[in-house]
Amino acid sequence: MTVGPTRGGAEQRPDGEERGPAGRVYTADFLTELFGNPLDPGYADAAARRRSSPSPSGRPGWSSRTVSLVVVVALGFLFAVAYRQTVAEEPGRSQARAGLVAQIKEREAETDGLAARADRLREEVGRQRDAALSGSQASRLRRLEAGTGLGRVRGDGVVVRLADAPVADKDGLTGSGGGPPRVLYTDLQKVANDLWAAGAEAVAINGQRLTATSTIRSAGEAILVDFRPVTGPYEVSAIGPGALRDRFEDSRAAYLMRDLVESVGLSFQVREVEDVTLPAAPEPRLRYAEPSVSPSPSVSGSGVEGSSRPEPSGSGSSPSPSRGGR
Amino acid sequence: MIAVLALLAGVVLGVYLDPTVPAALQPYLPIAVVAALDAVFGGVRAKLDRIFDDKQFVVSFISNVLVAGLIVYLGDQLGVGGQLSTGVVVVLGVRIFGNVAAIRRHLFRA
Repeated sequence: MTVGPTRGGAEQRPDGEERGPAGRVYTADFLTELFGNPLDPGYADAAARRRSSPSPSGRPGWSSRTVSLVVVVALGFLFAVAYRQTVAEEPGRSQARAGLVAQIKEREAETDGLAARADRLREEVGRQRDAALSGSQASRLRRLEAGTGLGRVRGDGVVVRLADAPVADKDGLTGSGGGPPRVLYTDLQKVANDLWAAGAEAVAINGQRLTATSTIRSAGEAILVDFRPVTGPYEVSAIGPGALRDRFEDSRAAYLMRDLVESVGLSFQVREVEDVTLPAAPEPRLRYAEPSVSPSPSVSGSGVEGSSRPEPSGSGSSPSPSRGGR
Repeated sequence: MIAVLALLAGVVLGVYLDPTVPAALQPYLPIAVVAALDAVFGGVRAKLDRIFDDKQFVVSFISNVLVAGLIVYLGDQLGVGGQLSTGVVVVLGVRIFGNVAAIRRHLFRA
Protein backbone atom coordinates (compact mmCIF):
# COMPACT_ATOMS: atom_id res chain seq x y z
CA MET A 1 0.00 0.00 0.00
CA THR A 2 3.04 2.25 0.08
CA VAL A 3 3.06 4.95 -2.49
CA GLY A 4 5.93 7.28 -2.88
CA PRO A 5 9.61 6.80 -2.26
CA THR A 6 10.35 3.28 -1.14
CA ARG A 7 13.51 1.49 -0.34
CA GLY A 8 14.53 -2.10 -0.19
CA GLY A 9 12.67 -3.96 -2.88
CA ALA A 10 12.97 -1.17 -5.38
CA GLU A 11 15.48 -2.97 -7.54
CA GLN A 12 13.13 -5.83 -8.26
CA ARG A 13 10.51 -3.68 -9.83
CA PRO A 14 11.05 -3.28 -13.51
CA ASP A 15 8.72 -0.39 -14.06
CA GLY A 16 9.46 3.27 -14.41
CA GLU A 17 11.58 4.04 -11.42
CA GLU A 18 14.49 6.31 -11.59
CA ARG A 19 17.21 6.93 -9.17
CA GLY A 20 17.65 10.58 -8.55
CA PRO A 21 21.07 12.13 -8.23
CA ALA A 22 20.89 12.07 -4.45
CA GLY A 23 20.06 8.37 -4.43
CA ARG A 24 16.37 8.87 -3.71
CA VAL A 25 13.93 6.57 -5.38
CA TYR A 26 11.15 8.23 -7.33
CA THR A 27 8.22 6.02 -8.04
CA ALA A 28 5.89 6.54 -10.91
CA ASP A 29 2.67 8.34 -10.13
CA PHE A 30 -0.02 6.51 -8.31
CA LEU A 31 -2.19 5.40 -11.23
CA THR A 32 0.74 4.19 -13.32
CA GLU A 33 2.01 2.34 -10.29
CA LEU A 34 -1.44 0.89 -9.72
CA PHE A 35 -1.86 -0.33 -13.27
CA GLY A 36 1.74 -1.38 -13.80
CA ASN A 37 2.37 -3.21 -10.58
CA PRO A 38 -0.75 -4.26 -8.74
CA LEU A 39 1.11 -6.40 -6.22
CA ASP A 40 1.59 -4.94 -2.80
CA PRO A 41 5.20 -3.71 -2.72
CA GLY A 42 5.49 -5.11 0.76
CA TYR A 43 5.90 -8.62 -0.60
CA ALA A 44 8.95 -7.61 -2.61
CA ASP A 45 10.29 -5.73 0.37
CA ALA A 46 9.86 -8.72 2.61
CA ALA A 47 11.50 -11.02 0.08
CA ALA A 48 14.45 -8.69 -0.20
CA ARG A 49 14.72 -8.54 3.56
CA ARG A 50 14.70 -12.31 3.78
CA ARG A 51 17.35 -12.58 1.13
CA SER A 52 19.63 -10.15 2.87
CA SER A 53 19.25 -11.75 6.29
CA PRO A 54 17.89 -15.25 5.95
CA SER A 55 16.32 -16.76 9.03
CA PRO A 56 18.17 -19.79 10.35
CA SER A 57 15.62 -22.36 9.32
CA GLY A 58 14.80 -20.77 5.99
CA ARG A 59 11.16 -21.31 6.81
CA PRO A 60 8.78 -18.77 8.30
CA GLY A 61 8.05 -19.18 11.96
CA TRP A 62 5.13 -21.27 13.07
CA SER A 63 3.41 -18.41 14.78
CA SER A 64 3.12 -16.21 11.70
CA ARG A 65 2.10 -19.27 9.68
CA THR A 66 -0.72 -19.94 12.15
CA VAL A 67 -1.86 -16.34 12.10
CA SER A 68 -1.90 -16.51 8.31
CA LEU A 69 -4.08 -19.61 8.38
CA VAL A 70 -6.42 -17.99 10.86
CA VAL A 71 -6.72 -15.05 8.50
CA VAL A 72 -7.52 -17.40 5.64
CA VAL A 73 -10.23 -19.04 7.73
CA ALA A 74 -11.57 -15.60 8.52
CA LEU A 75 -11.54 -14.86 4.81
CA GLY A 76 -13.63 -17.90 4.02
CA PHE A 77 -15.94 -16.99 6.86
CA LEU A 78 -16.30 -13.47 5.48
CA PHE A 79 -17.07 -14.73 1.99
CA ALA A 80 -19.67 -17.17 3.25
CA VAL A 81 -21.34 -14.57 5.44
CA ALA A 82 -21.38 -11.98 2.68
CA TYR A 83 -22.78 -14.51 0.21
CA ARG A 84 -25.50 -15.62 2.55
CA GLN A 85 -26.30 -12.04 3.38
CA THR A 86 -26.69 -11.11 -0.28
CA VAL A 87 -28.73 -14.18 -1.06
CA ALA A 88 -30.92 -13.62 1.97
CA GLU A 89 -31.54 -9.99 1.09
CA GLU A 90 -32.47 -10.42 -2.54
CA PRO A 91 -35.62 -12.55 -2.16
CA GLY A 92 -36.61 -10.31 0.74
CA ARG A 93 -36.78 -7.35 -1.57
CA SER A 94 -38.56 -9.04 -4.44
CA GLN A 95 -40.81 -10.93 -2.05
CA ALA A 96 -41.88 -7.75 -0.38
CA ARG A 97 -42.68 -6.25 -3.74
CA ALA A 98 -44.49 -9.32 -5.00
CA GLY A 99 -46.37 -9.53 -1.73
CA LEU A 100 -47.51 -5.95 -2.03
CA VAL A 101 -48.56 -6.44 -5.64
CA ALA A 102 -50.49 -9.56 -4.69
CA GLN A 103 -52.14 -7.73 -1.83
CA ILE A 104 -53.19 -4.91 -4.13
CA LYS A 105 -54.60 -7.33 -6.65
CA GLU A 106 -56.38 -9.25 -3.94
CA ARG A 107 -57.92 -6.13 -2.47
CA GLU A 108 -58.94 -4.93 -5.91
CA ALA A 109 -60.62 -8.23 -6.65
CA GLU A 110 -62.27 -8.05 -3.26
CA THR A 111 -63.50 -4.55 -3.98
CA ASP A 112 -64.78 -5.58 -7.37
CA GLY A 113 -66.59 -8.51 -5.85
CA LEU A 114 -68.12 -6.35 -3.18
CA ALA A 115 -69.13 -3.75 -5.74
CA ALA A 116 -70.79 -6.41 -7.86
CA ARG A 117 -72.55 -7.72 -4.78
CA ALA A 118 -73.65 -4.22 -3.90
CA ASP A 119 -75.02 -3.83 -7.41
CA ARG A 120 -76.95 -7.07 -7.13
CA LEU A 121 -78.29 -6.14 -3.75
CA ARG A 122 -79.23 -2.72 -4.99
CA GLU A 123 -81.18 -4.24 -7.84
CA GLU A 124 -82.78 -6.59 -5.41
CA VAL A 125 -83.71 -3.69 -3.18
CA GLY A 126 -85.09 -1.86 -6.18
CA ARG A 127 -87.19 -4.84 -7.14
CA GLN A 128 -88.52 -5.25 -3.65
CA ARG A 129 -89.23 -1.58 -3.44
CA ASP A 130 -91.04 -1.60 -6.76
CA ALA A 131 -93.15 -4.43 -5.48
CA ALA A 132 -93.94 -2.54 -2.32
CA LEU A 133 -94.56 0.85 -3.83
CA SER A 134 -97.27 1.88 -6.19
CA GLY A 135 -96.36 2.12 -9.86
CA SER A 136 -96.09 5.88 -10.11
CA GLN A 137 -94.00 6.18 -6.96
CA ALA A 138 -91.66 3.43 -8.14
CA SER A 139 -91.10 5.02 -11.51
CA ARG A 140 -90.51 8.39 -9.88
CA LEU A 141 -87.92 6.81 -7.63
CA ARG A 142 -86.24 5.17 -10.58
CA ARG A 143 -86.08 8.47 -12.39
CA LEU A 144 -84.54 10.06 -9.34
CA GLU A 145 -81.99 7.31 -9.12
CA ALA A 146 -81.12 7.63 -12.77
CA GLY A 147 -80.74 11.37 -12.41
CA THR A 148 -78.53 11.26 -9.35
CA GLY A 149 -76.35 8.56 -10.82
CA LEU A 150 -77.46 5.79 -8.49
CA GLY A 151 -79.27 3.87 -11.19
CA ARG A 152 -78.03 2.43 -14.43
CA VAL A 153 -79.04 4.48 -17.45
CA ARG A 154 -78.93 4.00 -21.18
CA GLY A 155 -79.32 6.26 -24.13
CA ASP A 156 -77.53 7.95 -27.00
CA GLY A 157 -74.56 10.16 -26.34
CA VAL A 158 -70.89 10.70 -26.98
CA VAL A 159 -67.68 9.05 -25.93
CA VAL A 160 -64.67 11.27 -25.44
CA ARG A 161 -61.45 9.35 -25.64
CA LEU A 162 -58.27 10.76 -24.09
CA ALA A 163 -54.92 9.02 -24.17
CA ASP A 164 -51.37 9.75 -23.14
CA ALA A 165 -48.88 10.64 -25.80
CA PRO A 166 -47.08 7.63 -27.24
CA VAL A 167 -43.77 6.75 -25.62
CA ALA A 168 -41.06 8.56 -27.49
CA ASP A 169 -37.47 7.46 -27.73
CA LYS A 170 -35.62 8.75 -24.75
CA ASP A 171 -32.69 10.88 -25.68
CA GLY A 172 -29.85 10.25 -23.31
CA LEU A 173 -29.93 12.06 -20.04
CA THR A 174 -32.80 14.41 -20.64
CA GLY A 175 -35.31 11.77 -21.66
CA SER A 176 -35.22 10.06 -18.32
CA GLY A 177 -37.13 12.86 -16.63
CA GLY A 178 -40.84 12.95 -17.06
CA GLY A 179 -41.64 10.47 -19.76
CA PRO A 180 -44.22 11.24 -22.42
CA PRO A 181 -46.86 13.87 -21.79
CA ARG A 182 -49.77 12.40 -19.92
CA VAL A 183 -53.41 13.16 -19.50
CA LEU A 184 -53.82 15.04 -16.25
CA TYR A 185 -56.68 14.81 -13.85
CA THR A 186 -57.52 18.41 -14.66
CA ASP A 187 -58.08 17.41 -18.28
CA LEU A 188 -60.60 14.82 -17.17
CA GLN A 189 -62.21 17.34 -14.86
CA LYS A 190 -62.57 19.91 -17.62
CA VAL A 191 -63.94 17.38 -20.07
CA ALA A 192 -66.45 16.11 -17.54
CA ASN A 193 -67.50 19.61 -16.56
CA ASP A 194 -67.96 20.72 -20.14
CA LEU A 195 -69.93 17.57 -20.90
CA TRP A 196 -72.27 18.49 -18.05
CA ALA A 197 -72.37 22.03 -19.38
CA ALA A 198 -73.17 20.76 -22.87
CA GLY A 199 -76.26 19.10 -21.52
CA ALA A 200 -75.14 15.64 -20.55
CA GLU A 201 -77.43 13.90 -18.13
CA ALA A 202 -75.14 11.11 -17.13
CA VAL A 203 -71.35 10.95 -17.32
CA ALA A 204 -69.00 8.08 -16.61
CA ILE A 205 -65.23 7.86 -16.77
CA ASN A 206 -63.94 4.42 -17.69
CA GLY A 207 -67.17 2.93 -16.42
CA GLN A 208 -67.21 4.96 -13.20
CA ARG A 209 -70.39 6.92 -13.04
CA LEU A 210 -70.06 10.48 -11.82
CA THR A 211 -72.48 11.73 -9.22
CA ALA A 212 -72.93 14.98 -7.36
CA THR A 213 -70.26 13.93 -4.87
CA SER A 214 -67.80 12.45 -7.35
CA THR A 215 -64.18 13.48 -7.25
CA ILE A 216 -61.54 13.41 -9.93
CA ARG A 217 -58.18 13.72 -8.32
CA SER A 218 -54.59 12.79 -8.81
CA ALA A 219 -52.55 10.72 -6.44
CA GLY A 220 -48.98 10.66 -7.60
CA GLU A 221 -49.12 9.61 -11.20
CA ALA A 222 -52.47 7.89 -10.93
CA ILE A 223 -55.84 9.49 -11.47
CA LEU A 224 -58.53 8.58 -9.00
CA VAL A 225 -62.20 8.85 -9.82
CA ASP A 226 -64.20 8.48 -6.66
CA PHE A 227 -61.04 7.12 -5.01
CA ARG A 228 -60.71 4.31 -7.50
CA PRO A 229 -57.77 4.39 -9.86
CA VAL A 230 -58.45 4.71 -13.57
CA THR A 231 -55.79 4.19 -16.20
CA GLY A 232 -55.43 5.42 -19.75
CA PRO A 233 -56.80 5.46 -22.34
CA TYR A 234 -59.59 7.32 -20.60
CA GLU A 235 -63.08 7.11 -22.04
CA VAL A 236 -65.54 9.67 -20.80
CA SER A 237 -68.99 8.52 -21.81
CA ALA A 238 -71.94 10.85 -21.61
CA ILE A 239 -75.60 10.55 -22.38
CA GLY A 240 -77.29 13.70 -23.51
CA PRO A 241 -79.21 15.48 -26.24
CA GLY A 242 -78.46 15.04 -29.92
CA ALA A 243 -76.55 18.29 -30.02
CA LEU A 244 -74.30 17.15 -27.22
CA ARG A 245 -71.40 16.43 -29.51
CA ASP A 246 -71.53 19.76 -31.31
CA ARG A 247 -71.90 21.67 -28.11
CA PHE A 248 -69.04 19.83 -26.50
CA GLU A 249 -66.81 20.33 -29.52
CA ASP A 250 -67.34 24.07 -29.09
CA SER A 251 -66.48 24.00 -25.41
CA ARG A 252 -63.31 25.28 -23.83
CA ALA A 253 -62.22 21.81 -22.80
CA ALA A 254 -62.41 20.57 -26.38
CA TYR A 255 -60.41 23.55 -27.62
CA LEU A 256 -57.84 22.99 -24.91
CA MET A 257 -57.54 19.30 -25.65
CA ARG A 258 -57.19 19.87 -29.40
CA ASP A 259 -54.46 22.34 -28.54
CA LEU A 260 -52.72 19.71 -26.44
CA VAL A 261 -53.04 17.19 -29.25
CA GLU A 262 -51.13 19.54 -31.52
CA SER A 263 -48.57 20.72 -29.00
CA VAL A 264 -47.64 17.63 -26.98
CA GLY A 265 -49.20 14.71 -28.81
CA LEU A 266 -51.99 13.53 -26.55
CA SER A 267 -54.81 11.85 -28.38
CA PHE A 268 -58.33 13.15 -28.16
CA GLN A 269 -61.37 11.92 -30.00
CA VAL A 270 -65.06 12.60 -29.69
CA ARG A 271 -67.48 10.19 -31.26
CA GLU A 272 -71.20 9.72 -31.07
CA VAL A 273 -72.53 6.46 -29.75
CA GLU A 274 -75.99 5.03 -29.80
CA ASP A 275 -77.64 3.21 -26.98
CA VAL A 276 -74.79 3.28 -24.52
CA THR A 277 -75.35 2.01 -21.00
CA LEU A 278 -73.76 3.77 -18.07
CA PRO A 279 -73.47 1.85 -14.82
CA ALA A 280 -74.76 2.99 -11.49
CA ALA A 281 -72.45 4.75 -9.12
CA PRO A 282 -71.93 3.32 -5.67
CA GLU A 283 -74.22 4.87 -3.14
CA PRO A 284 -72.56 7.91 -1.57
CA ARG A 285 -72.16 7.67 2.16
CA LEU A 286 -73.31 10.97 3.54
CA ARG A 287 -71.84 11.37 6.96
CA TYR A 288 -72.56 14.98 7.71
CA ALA A 289 -75.42 16.01 5.45
CA GLU A 290 -78.81 14.70 6.41
CA PRO A 291 -81.82 14.71 4.14
CA SER A 292 -84.16 17.51 5.09
CA VAL A 293 -87.12 16.80 2.88
CA SER A 294 -90.58 17.22 4.19
CA PRO A 295 -92.34 13.92 4.86
CA SER A 296 -94.74 14.21 1.93
CA PRO A 297 -92.79 13.37 -1.20
CA SER A 298 -95.22 15.05 -3.58
CA VAL A 299 -94.44 18.53 -2.29
CA SER A 300 -90.67 18.38 -2.35
CA GLY A 301 -90.39 16.31 -5.49
CA SER A 302 -89.16 18.82 -8.01
CA GLY A 303 -87.03 20.57 -5.45
CA VAL A 304 -85.01 17.51 -4.62
CA GLU A 305 -84.48 16.70 -8.22
CA GLY A 306 -83.43 20.19 -9.08
CA SER A 307 -80.99 20.51 -6.22
CA SER A 308 -79.27 17.26 -6.90
CA ARG A 309 -78.82 18.02 -10.56
CA PRO A 310 -76.69 21.10 -11.00
CA GLU A 311 -76.56 20.80 -14.79
CA PRO A 312 -78.92 22.90 -16.84
CA SER A 313 -81.14 20.19 -18.27
CA GLY A 314 -83.05 19.42 -15.14
CA SER A 315 -86.28 18.44 -16.80
CA GLY A 316 -86.57 15.00 -15.38
CA SER A 317 -90.16 14.48 -16.33
CA SER A 318 -89.73 15.10 -20.04
CA PRO A 319 -89.14 12.01 -22.18
CA SER A 320 -85.38 12.38 -22.00
CA PRO A 321 -82.98 9.73 -23.25
CA SER A 322 -82.16 8.76 -19.72
CA ARG A 323 -85.06 6.46 -19.14
CA GLY A 324 -85.60 4.70 -15.89
CA GLY A 325 -82.71 2.88 -14.37
CA ARG A 326 -81.95 -0.81 -14.13
CA MET B 1 -3.00 -26.66 -0.10
CA ILE B 2 -3.42 -26.02 3.59
CA ALA B 3 -4.56 -22.51 2.73
CA VAL B 4 -7.30 -23.86 0.46
CA LEU B 5 -8.43 -26.22 3.21
CA ALA B 6 -8.45 -23.34 5.67
CA LEU B 7 -10.51 -21.27 3.25
CA LEU B 8 -13.00 -24.12 2.87
CA ALA B 9 -13.11 -24.52 6.64
CA GLY B 10 -13.93 -20.84 6.93
CA VAL B 11 -16.70 -21.13 4.37
CA VAL B 12 -18.15 -24.17 6.12
CA LEU B 13 -17.92 -22.33 9.42
CA GLY B 14 -19.75 -19.35 7.97
CA VAL B 15 -22.47 -21.50 6.47
CA TYR B 16 -22.79 -23.60 9.59
CA LEU B 17 -22.85 -20.79 12.12
CA ASP B 18 -24.89 -18.52 9.87
CA PRO B 19 -24.31 -15.39 11.92
CA THR B 20 -26.61 -12.45 11.45
CA VAL B 21 -24.78 -9.33 10.42
CA PRO B 22 -25.76 -6.31 12.49
CA ALA B 23 -27.60 -3.76 10.43
CA ALA B 24 -24.97 -1.13 11.16
CA LEU B 25 -22.27 -3.26 9.56
CA GLN B 26 -24.20 -4.35 6.50
CA PRO B 27 -23.04 -1.51 4.20
CA TYR B 28 -19.43 -2.46 4.90
CA LEU B 29 -19.78 -6.12 4.04
CA PRO B 30 -19.50 -5.88 0.22
CA ILE B 31 -16.55 -3.51 0.35
CA ALA B 32 -14.86 -5.73 2.94
CA VAL B 33 -15.29 -8.67 0.59
CA VAL B 34 -13.68 -6.76 -2.27
CA ALA B 35 -10.80 -5.73 -0.03
CA ALA B 36 -10.38 -9.30 1.15
CA LEU B 37 -10.38 -10.51 -2.45
CA ASP B 38 -7.60 -8.05 -3.20
CA ALA B 39 -5.55 -9.44 -0.31
CA VAL B 40 -6.21 -13.02 -1.45
CA PHE B 41 -5.19 -12.47 -5.04
CA GLY B 42 -2.17 -10.48 -3.93
CA GLY B 43 -1.19 -13.36 -1.69
CA VAL B 44 -1.67 -15.96 -4.41
CA ARG B 45 0.38 -13.95 -6.84
CA ALA B 46 3.13 -13.46 -4.28
CA LYS B 47 3.11 -17.21 -3.67
CA LEU B 48 3.57 -17.84 -7.37
CA ASP B 49 6.29 -15.20 -7.48
CA ARG B 50 7.89 -17.07 -4.59
CA ILE B 51 7.94 -13.95 -2.47
CA PHE B 52 4.96 -14.77 -0.24
CA ASP B 53 5.24 -13.49 3.25
CA ASP B 54 2.85 -14.41 6.02
CA LYS B 55 3.18 -11.20 7.93
CA GLN B 56 2.72 -9.11 4.82
CA PHE B 57 -0.38 -11.12 3.91
CA VAL B 58 -1.99 -10.78 7.32
CA VAL B 59 -1.24 -7.10 7.59
CA SER B 60 -2.43 -6.36 4.07
CA PHE B 61 -5.67 -8.25 4.64
CA ILE B 62 -6.51 -6.54 7.89
CA SER B 63 -5.46 -3.08 6.76
CA ASN B 64 -7.29 -3.45 3.44
CA VAL B 65 -10.53 -4.39 5.12
CA LEU B 66 -10.21 -1.70 7.75
CA VAL B 67 -9.24 1.05 5.34
CA ALA B 68 -11.99 0.10 2.92
CA GLY B 69 -14.54 0.15 5.75
CA LEU B 70 -13.17 3.44 6.98
CA ILE B 71 -13.47 5.01 3.55
CA VAL B 72 -17.07 3.86 3.22
CA TYR B 73 -17.81 5.24 6.68
CA LEU B 74 -16.11 8.49 5.79
CA GLY B 75 -18.12 8.72 2.59
CA ASP B 76 -21.32 8.23 4.55
CA GLN B 77 -20.39 10.89 7.05
CA LEU B 78 -19.30 13.37 4.38
CA GLY B 79 -22.51 12.85 2.49
CA VAL B 80 -20.88 11.71 -0.73
CA GLY B 81 -22.56 8.36 -0.18
CA GLY B 82 -21.55 5.65 -2.57
CA GLN B 83 -19.08 7.64 -4.63
CA LEU B 84 -16.18 7.16 -2.26
CA SER B 85 -16.81 3.43 -2.04
CA THR B 86 -16.95 3.41 -5.84
CA GLY B 87 -13.42 4.77 -5.75
CA VAL B 88 -12.37 1.99 -3.40
CA VAL B 89 -13.95 -0.62 -5.64
CA VAL B 90 -12.23 0.81 -8.71
CA VAL B 91 -8.78 0.84 -7.12
CA LEU B 92 -9.15 -2.60 -5.59
CA GLY B 93 -10.72 -3.91 -8.77
CA VAL B 94 -7.77 -2.72 -10.84
CA ARG B 95 -5.38 -4.38 -8.43
CA ILE B 96 -7.35 -7.61 -8.43
CA PHE B 97 -7.42 -7.56 -12.19
CA GLY B 98 -3.69 -6.98 -12.46
CA ASN B 99 -2.89 -9.69 -9.93
CA VAL B 100 -5.18 -12.17 -11.62
CA ALA B 101 -3.48 -11.38 -14.92
CA ALA B 102 -0.10 -12.07 -13.31
CA ILE B 103 -1.42 -15.34 -11.85
CA ARG B 104 -2.69 -16.28 -15.26
CA ARG B 105 0.72 -15.59 -16.79
CA HIS B 106 2.27 -17.81 -14.15
CA LEU B 107 -0.12 -20.67 -14.65
CA PHE B 108 -0.55 -20.68 -18.40
CA ARG B 109 2.56 -18.83 -19.49
CA ALA B 110 0.37 -16.68 -21.66
